[in-house]
Amino acid sequence: MSDLTPLRDLLDHHVVGHDEAKAALLLALITREHIYVEGPPGTAKTRLAEVAAKGSELDFFFYQLHRDTRLAELVGDIVLERRKVKTEGTASGTAGEAERIHQRIEPGGLLTAEVAVLDDISRAPGEALNVLLRILNERRFGAEPIPLMAAIATGNPMDDEYYNEPLDPANLDRFALQLRVSGLIQSGVDEAKTLIDRFASGSVVEQPDPEPVTDRTTLDALNRRMYEVEVGAAVRAALLDVLRTLVLEFECNETNSLLTDRTFLVKAIKILRGAALLAGRDAVNLEDLAALSWMTTFRVPPEAHEALPRIIGRVSRQIQAV
Amino acid sequence: MTRPAPDRRIADLAGTFVELRTALGRVLVGQDESATGLTLALLAEQHAYLEGPPGCGKSELAAALAALSGARTHTLVFHRDIRETDLLGDVLLSRHRHRGHERLRRELIPGPLLQAEIALLEDLPRSPGEALGPLLRILAERNALGQPLPLESAVATGPLEQVEAPIDPLEPGQLDRFAVQLRLTGLLTGGLFDEAAVLLERGAARESSRTAVRSTATPRAAVMSSATRKAAQRAAAALKVEPRTIDAYHRLLDRLRLRSADESASGDRLMSDRSFSSAALRLVRAHAFLRGAPAAAPRDLGAIRYMVAHRLPDEVQEDFDHILEELLGDPPNVTMTETGAQMPGAQSQGDDSDGAAAASPASDSWIDDQADLPAPPTLFGKPPPPAQVDPLLRALVGRIERGRIDPDTDPGGQPRGYRPLRDLDELIDADLIEALLFAEGRLPGAPRTFERKRKSAGGAVAVLRDISASMAGRLTVWSSQVVLGILRVAARRRMRVGYVEFHHRALPHQVGGRLLHRSYSRLAEQAGQAKAVGQTNYEAPLRTALEGLRGGSGRNRHIVLLTDGLPIIGDTTVRRERQLARRLGVALHTVFLGNGDCPPVLDDISLETGGLRFYGRPLTGGGLRLEER
Repeated sequence: MSDLTPLRDLLDHHVVGHDEAKAALLLALITREHIYVEGPPGTAKTRLAEVAAKGSELDFFFYQLHRDTRLAELVGDIVLERRKVKTEGTASGTAGEAERIHQRIEPGGLLTAEVAVLDDISRAPGEALNVLLRILNERRFGAEPIPLMAAIATGNPMDDEYYNEPLDPANLDRFALQLRVSGLIQSGVDEAKTLIDRFASGSVVEQPDPEPVTDRTTLDALNRRMYEVEVGAAVRAALLDVLRTLVLEFECNETNSLLTDRTFLVKAIKILRGAALLAGRDAVNLEDLAALSWMTTFRVPPEAHEALPRIIGRVSRQIQAV
Repeated sequence: MTRPAPDRRIADLAGTFVELRTALGRVLVGQDESATGLTLALLAEQHAYLEGPPGCGKSELAAALAALSGARTHTLVFHRDIRETDLLGDVLLSRHRHRGHERLRRELIPGPLLQAEIALLEDLPRSPGEALGPLLRILAERNALGQPLPLESAVATGPLEQVEAPIDPLEPGQLDRFAVQLRLTGLLTGGLFDEAAVLLERGAARESSRTAVRSTATPRAAVMSSATRKAAQRAAAALKVEPRTIDAYHRLLDRLRLRSADESASGDRLMSDRSFSSAALRLVRAHAFLRGAPAAAPRDLGAIRYMVAHRLPDEVQEDFDHILEELLGDPPNVTMTETGAQMPGAQSQGDDSDGAAAASPASDSWIDDQADLPAPPTLFGKPPPPAQVDPLLRALVGRIERGRIDPDTDPGGQPRGYRPLRDLDELIDADLIEALLFAEGRLPGAPRTFERKRKSAGGAVAVLRDISASMAGRLTVWSSQVVLGILRVAARRRMRVGYVEFHHRALPHQVGGRLLHRSYSRLAEQAGQAKAVGQTNYEAPLRTALEGLRGGSGRNRHIVLLTDGLPIIGDTTVRRERQLARRLGVALHTVFLGNGDCPPVLDDISLETGGLRFYGRPLTGGGLRLEER
């Protein structure tokens, strides 16, 4: 059994619906990958991340990005350091004093957090966004590694570009997992009723603080276990066939997609292992390939992304037939 | 100490570098060429530039070279905030009291980069100009702050040209500082699925994945000592070059020059004296040394192929092996792979990488093409019949470039000068000394801080195409061509595009609910399928396009209206749309096709919004000529 069942139960207890987002969030925590969630305001994006962080006793950093976001608010204060240095006499003969001047940042915010929620990431001005994305990518600041396990970034749908250019796909590539969510009420699913009933019953505090149900040690152990999950030849062949289909049939190339070797040949293995682990297995099977859909959302053209479940189904049947 | 058997010792030295080359070849799957190129660069003490799509292993390969060679290494990840002090070292501000006054002097303490034997410069093109200039000078002169550097090779990595929009690509003159230039192919996008399968298998090995996740942590033991490395470099540099090799080299250069002049696509390529004299011959010697040869023979000219990525037009590069083979009258494989005796298994790897080289240009040629007007790419299906759309596209490109050339002030841009500090938060961008004096209250006024500017990113162009009944036949084919031409122009600049066909109604082709997007090939497909029906209405399509452009920002926004007739339906003067376009700063370009008289409203539209006016006249031979009205 997966050790994250308590955390999943906790998420279910605090947030109604959004199965996909919950699964992807747990996957992000196990695989230590960042996740980007796009959806309209008020769809529990932030709440999910907060419950997950508090439920696992992780240092949590929440930041709402806005047009005037300052770098210091994200990473900490800028410090100018001066150190006295002796200098030898100069040509003019007088020995002098000198100062070595060094600029650094006193880490705070994102640099000390284990789980970070970056709300409305595309609203950040270029300056802050550049530094932010660099930190997420390198997972270190200067020479120092940072404790960040996963960042959860949220954004509003792309057609809302009145104030900002949409994030460049190359920037979105920093987030291995990418998904779209929609509101329960707007999409009219059954959970919408549950949601309303829950608040109508009057017995529920609107946003109760979750109790911790797991901790960093457990997450670290899971992360280590993930690397031991078996990825068999059949799964690898299926993954490759899916990718081949995207390249050859859907014409995904360097101009319209971000089908990089790092993401789809290295990180994909990690994601598949994480998915198997979440399902409580020691080996990846063909069902886990469905997790690939969380990787392609903004990396391939929409028609290719929409076709992915179909492609995976076809490829799986072929592999099983052999 | 080498007296008893100098040849033996030379052979040993060459052997260690062959070992390096073999170990390097194992680092990445299917990137054998690059491993050889990097080995030669280090042996010849030349700088190397590695480019490729994101996530293809550039950094990993460079880091492996550093680790395997045992050289003192410093890695610098470039970003737009990198400063002179990150490159050179900390600032030392010295104060000397002298007869009652104080003299302040600013000096630099040499930083780790200046003490490195191998410098890894990751994402070099992200560097702002103010840091890049001094760095490239230091690399070329191998001398900084008045001292010679221990630097042997700098290995820089960068993205493929034009793939990542926010980066200004390095100029050929800057790239020329890197003698060795290598292009890596993505396994997936390059269609190298067998190699991709090998990589997947590697990643799937239990527990090994930790190293595969992020390359930098990979521990690799050095295969040689510093003394060996340096001795080999000296020995390789001292190798004789046979006279017939020099002769062949002259002939090779002649041919390359001739071929490059032939190609209309030559663009801004550069064959500089600096690279093709000393650097090239060092590489040729290194090639011979690695082969274990006593002197550089003509076939060692194969080393030149690792230099050409940004120095020769793409077509000539692809043909390089063939040109050399013709010249030497030898079999085609003139590279390392011939020395099978020294490198077991090298032969088959060599074949793989040849496949890689052949496969890579096909995938991205239509966007990377330097030609002003490339031949219609296969992506767009069968080539259309002749229409001379060049004048329109050239003029349009001119307008688009004009919008891009003037950079806007943008906090995410590159430093292009100084301005006074306006906000304490900008202290991070301020001149260090002045910031300090300011903090101490000793500076009258505010410290200088970088003024960052960026070229208007991307921009957008919407094409409105008349498909009313009168556009049937040849006009449909021609307007398809115009649309495809505009799509190519937009694609090369990563501009967002919108495509609206119209008759009495506007029929926008949206992707993901948006009018403006970057699905170029999808629109290209649409443009080829247009059918002519209905009557003409200018108002509806203009309104649709302006609504689409309204949300975006930036100055570089264009609408191209393609039509052959007078508007019959809707507001025929499109008064409100003209007003809106002026307010949004959108340029409305109009193209009138056919033999009839151009409706005056088209002239008004263009004149008011600063757009171009074009006229497409059918030629007697069946073609179409576009001229300015």
